[in-house]
Amino acid sequence: MTGLRIVGSHMMRNRVVYASGITLVAAGSLFAAQIPRLLGHVTDRLQEGTLGRSEMAGYVGLIILIGVVRVAAGWGGRVLVHHKGRELTYQLRKELFEKWSTLSPSYYHRHSVGDMISHALSDVEVVRELASMGLNQGISGSAMLLGSAWLMVVHVDWRLTLAGLGPLLFIPLLVRWLGPEIRLQSQRSQEALGSMAQTTEEVIGGIRAVKAFGMEQVVNSRFQDCVDDIVEEKMRLVRLSALFDSLLPLLVNIGFIFVLGFGGYLVTTKSISLGDFVAFTLYVALLRMPLEQLGNVINIVQRSIASLNRIDELLHVLPEVREREGAVIDRPLQGSLEVKGLTFRYPGSQRDVLSDISFSLKPGQTVGIIGAMGSGKSTLADLILRLYDPPEGTVFIDGEDILHYPLARLREGVAYVPQDGFLFSSTVLENIGFSDDSPNLKRAKWCAGITAVHDNILMFPEQYDTEIGDRGVRLSGGQKQRLAIARMIYKNAPFQIMDDSLSAVDTTTERLILENLKELSTASSIIISNRLSALQHADEIIVLESGRIVERGSSHAELLSLCGVYAGQWFMQAGLSFGGESEKSEADGSDAVLPVDLDIEMEVLESGRFEEAS
Amino acid sequence: MIECSPVKGAFAPLIPYVKPYKTKLALVFALVVGVVVVDLIQPWLVKEVIDRYVTVSSPDSSGIFRMSALYLGLVLLSFGLTWYQDMVLQKTGLSIVRAIRIDLFRHIQQLALRYFDQNTPGRIITNVVSDTEALNNLFTQFLANSLRGIFTLVLIMFFMLRLNIAIALYCFLLLPLVLFMAVFFQKKIRAINSEVRHRLGLLIGFLAENLSGMAIVQIFHQEQKQQKRFDERNKSLLQSTILENQWFLLFFNITELLGDLAIAALIWYGGNGVIEGTLSFGVLYAFVGYIRRFFQPINTISQQMNPLQSAIVASDRISRTFMEIPEIKEVDGARAPAVVAGSIKLDGVSLAYRLGYPVLHDINLLIDAGEQVGFVGATGAGKSSIMNLVTRFYDVTSGAVVIDGKDIRQWPFEELRRTVGIVQQDVTLFSGTIMENIRFFQSDISEERVREACRLVGAEPFILRQPQGYNTMLSERATTLSAGERQLLSFARVLIFDPKILILDEATACLDSATERVLQNAIQRVSVGRTLLVIAHRLSTVQQMDRICVLREGRIVERGTHDELLLQRGDYWKLHQSGILLDEAA
Repeated sequence: MTGLRIVGSHMMRNRVVYASGITLVAAGSLFAAQIPRLLGHVTDRLQEGTLGRSEMAGYVGLIILIGVVRVAAGWGGRVLVHHKGRELTYQLRKELFEKWSTLSPSYYHRHSVGDMISHALSDVEVVRELASMGLNQGISGSAMLLGSAWLMVVHVDWRLTLAGLGPLLFIPLLVRWLGPEIRLQSQRSQEALGSMAQTTEEVIGGIRAVKAFGMEQVVNSRFQDCVDDIVEEKMRLVRLSALFDSLLPLLVNIGFIFVLGFGGYLVTTKSISLGDFVAFTLYVALLRMPLEQLGNVINIVQRSIASLNRIDELLHVLPEVREREGAVIDRPLQGSLEVKGLTFRYPGSQRDVLSDISFSLKPGQTVGIIGAMGSGKSTLADLILRLYDPPEGTVFIDGEDILHYPLARLREGVAYVPQDGFLFSSTVLENIGFSDDSPNLKRAKWCAGITAVHDNILMFPEQYDTEIGDRGVRLSGGQKQRLAIARMIYKNAPFQIMDDSLSAVDTTTERLILENLKELSTASSIIISNRLSALQHADEIIVLESGRIVERGSSHAELLSLCGVYAGQWFMQAGLSFGGESEKSEADGSDAVLPVDLDIEMEVLESGRFEEAS
Repeated sequence: MIECSPVKGAFAPLIPYVKPYKTKLALVFALVVGVVVVDLIQPWLVKEVIDRYVTVSSPDSSGIFRMSALYLGLVLLSFGLTWYQDMVLQKTGLSIVRAIRIDLFRHIQQLALRYFDQNTPGRIITNVVSDTEALNNLFTQFLANSLRGIFTLVLIMFFMLRLNIAIALYCFLLLPLVLFMAVFFQKKIRAINSEVRHRLGLLIGFLAENLSGMAIVQIFHQEQKQQKRFDERNKSLLQSTILENQWFLLFFNITELLGDLAIAALIWYGGNGVIEGTLSFGVLYAFVGYIRRFFQPINTISQQMNPLQSAIVASDRISRTFMEIPEIKEVDGARAPAVVAGSIKLDGVSLAYRLGYPVLHDINLLIDAGEQVGFVGATGAGKSSIMNLVTRFYDVTSGAVVIDGKDIRQWPFEELRRTVGIVQQDVTLFSGTIMENIRFFQSDISEERVREACRLVGAEPFILRQPQGYNTMLSERATTLSAGERQLLSFARVLIFDPKILILDEATACLDSATERVLQNAIQRVSVGRTLLVIAHRLSTVQQMDRICVLREGRIVERGTHDELLLQRGDYWKLHQSGILLDEAA
C-alpha cells in the first residue's frame, strides 16, 4: 500500500487542480443524468396535450443548455485530470532516471536493462491510468450511477429502479471477473506469437546450419508446433472474450426487459407516468458504459498498486557506492596509486575474486596487467574506479584511501576505456568530447589523431558530426575501441585505465596508438590486456591468475625468462602476432628478414614446449 | 475478371485458403444480421408498447407481458448466437492464417540461400510473423467489426424509414457529418499517435543505451548532462501525449455534444409533429433511441480502414514470397556415388551472386580425400564463396563442383548434406537443451553418443558446469555460452553427424589462451579422417595445413605449403610479414 503514497502526494501537491477536475467531471455526469428525466417530462406534457410551441422551445433550449453544460464540465474536468496524470508519468520517469544515475554497476549486474525499461514504461503508464483515466471513470461512473438511481428512486419507483438497474449492477462484477482473465490470456497469446517470431528468427539466422544439416523437417515441425500453440492460446482468449462480449449485452437487455414489462405494466396501472417509463428505458441505455468503466476502474486500481509498489521500491534503492561521511579529502588527483594487500569478493558471493594484490604506480608510469578471462583483471579496474568499494585501507591515491575522496573528485581524475568500447548514439564529436559539456572540435581531432581514427572519421558522411549507431554510421569493433580511447585522452585525467581496449585493433595500429600515448600522455596508466603486445611499454607487468599475482616483472624479457604463465601465453599468441618481436627484426634492418623471423619462431616454439612439459 | 477491384486483386492469393470455409463464413454473416436485429429492435418495442398498449383508451398490460416474454426469448437466443458467431468467425480466421503460416514457412525453407542473403532476416521474420498476423486481424477485427457496423447502420436506416420517411431523411443528414468528423479526427489522432510512438521510441532508445552505459556516464561524471538530455526527451514525450489526449477529448466531447443537439432537434420537429397529431409519440421515442446509435457504428467502420490497409499490404508481400521459386532443386534420379571418400574437384568454377558481377573466376582446384586445405585472403576475396559452392548453398554460374567423381548437382540433397559438414564462426544454436542442440533435435541419436562426442572434443567439462548439465536450456541467442564454448558444441555436432568433408570457418574473436588451447585440440580431433577446408584467420592454424590457397579478388593467386609460400615472397609472405592475418574484427 505504501506505493499509493506516490499518487497521494502528487494529488496533494496539485490539490486545487484535482479538486476542480473531480468536481467538474462529477458535475458533468450529474447533468448528463438529467437528460432522460427531462425527456420524460416532455413526454408527459406531450401526452397530456398541454404543451405549446413556446414551452416546447423552452424544453429544447433546456436540453441544449444541459447538453452544452455537461459536455463543457466533463471536458474541462477531464482535460485537467489527464494533464496532471501525464505530468505524473513525466515526473516519475525523471525521478527514476535520476535514481538510476546514482546506482553502481552491482545493481546493473543484478537487474536487466529490459526490466528497468519496463518499469519506466509499463509501470509508469499503469500509474497514469490510475491517476487520470481511472480517476475520471471512477468519478463520472459513480456520479452517473448515483445521480440516475437517486432521480429514479425519488421521483419514480424504487421497485422499478431495482428491477431495471439490478441486472446492470452485475456489469462491474463481470468486468472485474473476466477483465483480468482476458488480459492475462491476451498476454499469453502475445507470448505465443513472440515465440513463433523467435523460432523464425532462429531458423532464418541459422539457415546455413539448417540447410547444411538437412534439418528442414525438424524445423518445420517446430514451427508448426508454434503455430498450433498460437491457435490454441488465441482460441482460449476468444472463448473468454466471446463470453464477455455476449454476456454484457445480455445483462443490459435483461434490465431493459424488466423495465419494458414491469414499467409498461406500471404505466397501464397509472402507477407511473409514460414519461417516467420513457426515462427509465433511456437510463438503462445510458448506464451501460459507465458501469463497464466502473468495473474497469477496480482492475486498474489493483494493477496499479503492484506497479506503484515496484516504483516506490526502486525510488528507495540505496546506491552501494556512495560518499563516505567525514574525513573527506577534497583535492585534485595527482597520479600516484598504491594497492596494498587488496582482497575482494563481490557482495553476496563466497569467492574471492582478488586475493592479496599489491602494486604501486608513480605519476606518469604504466602498469600492465594480463590474465585469462575471470582472473580478476576487470574487477581490479572497477575497484580503482570505485564502481565497487574496495575494503578500507587497500587502495590509495596520492597517499590517501580512495574511500575518503568524494566520488566527483575521484571520477574527475580518472579516465577509462571499457572492454567493448561502449559509445553513445550521438555524434562522433560528442562521443569523443563526452567529458565536456560543449566538446571542442580541435581537441577532438587531436585525440582522434593519436588513436589513428581521424582518417576513418573523415570518411564518414558528416565527419565529426556523423551520428553513431542505427541512424548514422555503424562502426567496426576496432573503430569503436579507437574512438573510446580518444574519449579517454580527451578527458586529460591524471589516471588512465584501459580495459582490454585494443583487442579488436590490429597489432600494427595497436603499436602505433601505444607509442603515441607513451609519447604524448603524462598520465599514470593501467593497461589491462589479453594480448601481450599491448603491454610492451609498461614499466611493470603483472600476471593475474584466479585473482592472484602469479608473476611480475619489469620487462618482457624478464617475464619470458621465468618460463611461466607469461611465456606460455606468448607462445600461444606468437602465431597470431609478432607485435613484440617485430621491433627487433626491424631494428636489424637487414634484408634477411625471413630467416631471422624463422629463428625467432623456433625459439618461441621451444620455449613453449618447455612450458608445456614443465 | 477485368472488373476485379484492386482490393479483391490484393487478396487473390488468399482465395484458395478461404474457399474451404465458405459455408462457415456465410453462416457468420447470417448470425451477425440476427444478432444486430435483436439489439436494434429495442426502441421499436418501446414504441409498440407506447402506441399499442399505453396511449390507447384501454391500456392492456397482458400484451406488454407477452411482448416482454417474447423478447426475453430473443435476447437469450441472441446471447447464444453472439457467442457462437464470435467463436466461429475467430476459429475460421485462425485456421486460415494457420494454414498460410505453415505453407509460407515451408516455402521459405525451400528457397535457396540467395533469398536469405538478399533479404534481411528482419524482413523475412516480418513476413512470417507480422504479415500473417495482419491477415489474422483482417478476419478477427476488420471482418467482425465492419460487418457488425455496416449491418447496424443499414438496419437503423431501415427501421427509421419504416417509422417515418420524412424524419428519417432529416436524420440521415447527420450521416455525412458524423462520417466526416470520424475520418477527420481519426486521421489527426493517428498522426499525433505516431508522433507519440516516435518520441517514445527515442526515449526508450536513450534509456536503454544509458542504462547499459551507466558505468561510463558515472566514470566520466556526466550524470547531470545525461539527466538533462533525458529530461528533454521526457518532456517532448509529455507534450505530445498531452496533445494526443486533447485531440481525443475534443473528438469524444464534440460527438457527445452533437448527440445532444441531434436529440434537441428531434424533439423540436417531432414534438411539434406530435402536437399537431401528425406523429405518434411512440415513433418520436423510437427516433430518439435510434439517433444516438448512429455514432458508434460509423466510428467503428472508419477505424477499420487501418487493419484493411495493412492486410492488403501484408497479403501482397505474402504472395510475392510465394512467387519466389526455389532455384536449387534436386534433379530427378539423383544418385550418390557408390563410394563416398571426400575428394573435391573445382572444375573451372565461376560464381556471380548478381548477374555480371562475378566473385569467383575460373577456379580450378583438386583436393584429395583426407587432405587439409587452408584458404586465406582479405575480406571479399572469395573464401566464403567457395564454401557456398561446395555445400551447394549456391549453384555455380559456370564450371562444376565435383565430389567423388560426381557433379554435386547430380547428388541427392540428403546424401550431399551427410557428406559435407560445416562449422561456422557464428555457431547457430536453437532454443532447446544442449543435448538437443548437439544432435539437432534428432532423438534417434542416443544421448550416450552425444556425450561421447562432447568428451572427445573437450566440451564435457563446461557442459557439466551448466546448471542442468546436458539438459540446460539454451536461451535466446545462447548468450549464456561464450564464443569458444559454442564452437566446441558445434565440433561435437560434427563428430556425431560425421561428414566426410568438413568446412571450418575459423573464429576471429580473440579468445583467451586456455579456451584457445582446448579449441585447437578439438580441431585436431574433428579433422582426423576427413577432408578439411578451413577459412583461416590466423597463421598458427594455416601453418599446419597440407596446402594453403591464397585468394585475391576471386582467384587463387598462390598455392602451396606454408614454407613454400613464404619462399615465393608473394601475398602470403606479405600477410605473414605484417604479423596479421586477422581482419579487423567487425
